[in-house]
Amino acid sequence: MPDWKKEVRKSLSGLNLAPNHEAEIVEELAQHLEDVYERSIKTGATESEAKRIALLELDDDKLRHEIQRSQKPFHEQPVPGSGRLNVLADLLHDLRYAARMQLKNPAFTIVAVIALALGIGANTAIFSVVNTVLLRPLPYKDPERLVMVWEDATKAGYPRDVPTTANYIDWRDQNQVFESMAAMSYDNFNLTGAGDPERLDGTRVSASLFQLLGVDPQIGRVFTAAEDQPGSERVVLLSYGVWQRRFAGDPGIVGKAISLNGASYTVVGVMPTRFQFPFIDDQVWVPIAFTPQQAADRTTHYLRVFARLKPGVTLSQAQTEMSTIATRLQQQYPQSNTDVGAAVTLLQEWGLSDIRPALLILLGSVAMVLLIACANVANLLLARAAVRQKEIAVRVALGARRQRLIRQFLTESLMLSTMGGIVGLAIAYGGLILLRSFIPANIAEAREISIGFKVLGFTLLVSVATGVIFGLAPAIQAARFNQIETLKEGGRDAATGSSGKRLRSLLVTVEVAISLVLLIGAGLLINSFLRLRNVDPGFRVDNLLTMKIVLSEPKYREAEKRSAFYEELAQRVEALAGVRSAAVTNSLPLYALGNSITMVFEGRPEPPPGQEPIIGVRIISPEYFDTMGIPLLKGRQLTEQDTRTSPNVVVISEAMARRYWPNEDAIGKRIAFGRVQKPEDWIQVIGVVKDVRQTLTTDTKPQMYFSHLQMDFYPPEDLVVRTDVDPASMASTVRNAVWGIDKDQPVSNIRTMQEILADSIARERFSMLLLAIFASVALVLAVVGIYGVMSYSVAQRTHEIGIRMALGAQTGAVLKLAVSYGMKLVIIGIVVGLVTAFALTRVMSTLLFGVTATDPTTFTLIPLLFVCVAAIASYIPARRATKVDPLVALRYE
Amino acid sequence: MPYKTSRVLDRELKKGSAELLILSLVEDQPRHGYDIGNLIERRSKGALKFNVASLYPLLYRLERRGWIQGRWVEKAGQRRRRYYRLTAEGKKVLAAQRNSWREFVEAINRITGIEHA
Repeated sequence: MPDWKKEVRKSLSGLNLAPNHEAEIVEELAQHLEDVYERSIKTGATESEAKRIALLELDDDKLRHEIQRSQKPFHEQPVPGSGRLNVLADLLHDLRYAARMQLKNPAFTIVAVIALALGIGANTAIFSVVNTVLLRPLPYKDPERLVMVWEDATKAGYPRDVPTTANYIDWRDQNQVFESMAAMSYDNFNLTGAGDPERLDGTRVSASLFQLLGVDPQIGRVFTAAEDQPGSERVVLLSYGVWQRRFAGDPGIVGKAISLNGASYTVVGVMPTRFQFPFIDDQVWVPIAFTPQQAADRTTHYLRVFARLKPGVTLSQAQTEMSTIATRLQQQYPQSNTDVGAAVTLLQEWGLSDIRPALLILLGSVAMVLLIACANVANLLLARAAVRQKEIAVRVALGARRQRLIRQFLTESLMLSTMGGIVGLAIAYGGLILLRSFIPANIAEAREISIGFKVLGFTLLVSVATGVIFGLAPAIQAARFNQIETLKEGGRDAATGSSGKRLRSLLVTVEVAISLVLLIGAGLLINSFLRLRNVDPGFRVDNLLTMKIVLSEPKYREAEKRSAFYEELAQRVEALAGVRSAAVTNSLPLYALGNSITMVFEGRPEPPPGQEPIIGVRIISPEYFDTMGIPLLKGRQLTEQDTRTSPNVVVISEAMARRYWPNEDAIGKRIAFGRVQKPEDWIQVIGVVKDVRQTLTTDTKPQMYFSHLQMDFYPPEDLVVRTDVDPASMASTVRNAVWGIDKDQPVSNIRTMQEILADSIARERFSMLLLAIFASVALVLAVVGIYGVMSYSVAQRTHEIGIRMALGAQTGAVLKLAVSYGMKLVIIGIVVGLVTAFALTRVMSTLLFGVTATDPTTFTLIPLLFVCVAAIASYIPARRATKVDPLVALRYE
Repeated sequence: MPYKTSRVLDRELKKGSAELLILSLVEDQPRHGYDIGNLIERRSKGALKFNVASLYPLLYRLERRGWIQGRWVEKAGQRRRRYYRLTAEGKKVLAAQRNSWREFVEAINRITGIEHA
């Protein structure tokens, strides 16, 4: 007889069992083999045959594996239904299984992934904008302690007014909450002497600003306190961009002199490449160096004031302290400071107050799109879960527990959402390229929008959350299924008659509601934008070329020289072929708000301080009205004969005439800039012109026009040229004409009026386009959802419909039956959506123009549109059902 | 595909049912391994067969879980053998498994319509 123990021991080698334990196993197994051997011998086998049969039982590899498994502690064994789970093994198993499921239904997978990718992609793209524009910390030292201080003139309509010098100095000297304060004012500099003359943007800043921000120059040094004094301020810091572009990155630039506005400034340093304070790359900084007159000025509002909070001081503490100081200043200087408080805001929020609501609304909108995508995929999964009931029945019978099934389903949905996330990232990447060209150019951060780690993390988070949201409902639904119930229905889809159908209907209703909200939001914005486009700016926008020509101080100090320059300029430009007329102004409409000034009226009492009428003022050349196409309504225009030696005259706007002389003729009335010392101070109204809008979104304001030949306290800066040909094509010709008069004269901002108009509503166009895109995606997804549910429901009822048709039901009746089910869901969704939209669109009111947030037209038309689209989506599957041959339908089982 | 599916089902069924078979066989009286294997083969008319490599590891596993208990028993004129008997916990498990097996079979029958045949 063979030595069975030896054979068994051989099989068990390498398992490292405890010796006693091994001996027992060897004994038991050897006995078994011996029994098998003896039985074979008894039934007539030869000895070698019997041995072979016995050894077959042993199956070395399997035995070793199984024995090893049986030795493991109980809880690590993945036994179905045992109540203990091997998490990792299960996960791998679930993943493999999920992958198989996706591959088995490629159409399902593709549809689901595309829906999710659209949702996740849109979210990623918008989040990356929000992340860069709103959330990214400023690139300065401890940016959370950097604040701005404003004058709070809420009563006068300016809750964030730019401070005066004297107020700034008092704040700076009296506060205990700031480590330091700094002021800044915008300025422009004509750079000459090196290459083409150029007009550079720049700022005048306190010497303390750079230290306050915590930024060091790349080369050289920043300003000293001594340089921040009148007489010593001829020093300049260059931005990296200017240094590279204009001075070829000359490493020896520090200490050299450059010519700004015709004066010599010494370069003391170059700022690092990413330093864009306040907003742009290409600029220069010079010391602000207040003169004694400026330091005492409480009427000229022009500063931006920055401060760094002392460590431990909160924003509200700073606010309290500044309010106290402002109250003290009100009592001290009632003439200038009545009703003027102080407001402290985070530096981070500067310049974002306009774009913030738009971005947040967009972020909310894409979240809604994603929810709709989730609802769609959940619906698909529910339908599929219904089909998979048999599979689930077998698994439950084999001991699969509820949690285990839920996990399996969640693995599948997470796999889908992860794939959606990956494709979504690609969509977001493409979308960002598109987005960058749409985002308003004055948001400096826009250029840096990119997909970084934070955004990737966001996408991952959204993908996982998405997977859980749309996966949970079907998973629970599937796991809650009742074996017996399911099987009682004879293997037919249990979900048609039970909670599965309810859940799917609910999801469609929610989809309809959400997409309706989005569509109404988009409708309101589109409506606003169309109205905005149709606003009459008050002049003819076409065929106008504009450019900035700022004369620099020393060369054109005398008003006569400036007037002479502009007169010659107009003559030379008008002489060009293709030019109809040319004029100059100190500020263009739709581009800059322009200046305002307080006025007194002849024969009316002087108003108390703070209540003087403030009226917009423009300095123009006589040809301005003709060139711009602003019609004269009454009286006469300004002419070449209205000069410094003739009586002062003014042309006013319709709004001003209406406001100040409502029931009388304004022509011949007299106004003045302040106290009238001598009769010549009076200015006579000689004409009334049509209103011109400063921005398309604001109402027209009273406006006065003075001739630069008579007074140019705001020197002209902009040339406007009306052309007979495409205005853009005239750009270089006109510029050369300027250089023909003065070769050192910078020319900048060459743009057509059409471009200025488009830019002025870029933000509105941006919000409208994006929301319209998202709403369209939402509509498509919702319609696909309705169509899917209808198709499914009709397919389930083929049998019933067949019977009805066989019994003589008319096609129309059957159609009505099927469509009415779909439309019921849609109507409920629309009602819910309308109520939600009514509550939600209010947050959009700051983005709207000319329509209210509850615009009745939009609230009527959009639901109607939706009903039509939904009716079609329900009709198509219903129609298919009526085409069914009753015989086929009856055999459908 | 049908072939592959049925093989998968076979394996799953066998795995799910093996415990039930063993627990049932030791319910009334303690049995040794060879006896158990033999009974399964005989009573299933050869449709089910467990070899050493699958039977004993399963026994050890059930023992480790505390559902059965093995004990060496010497009987006159025989070598000593290891007999397995059902524990109290094993009885509960057996009852539960019988129940779910019955449900499963009923379910399968309803699906496949065997009861009408």
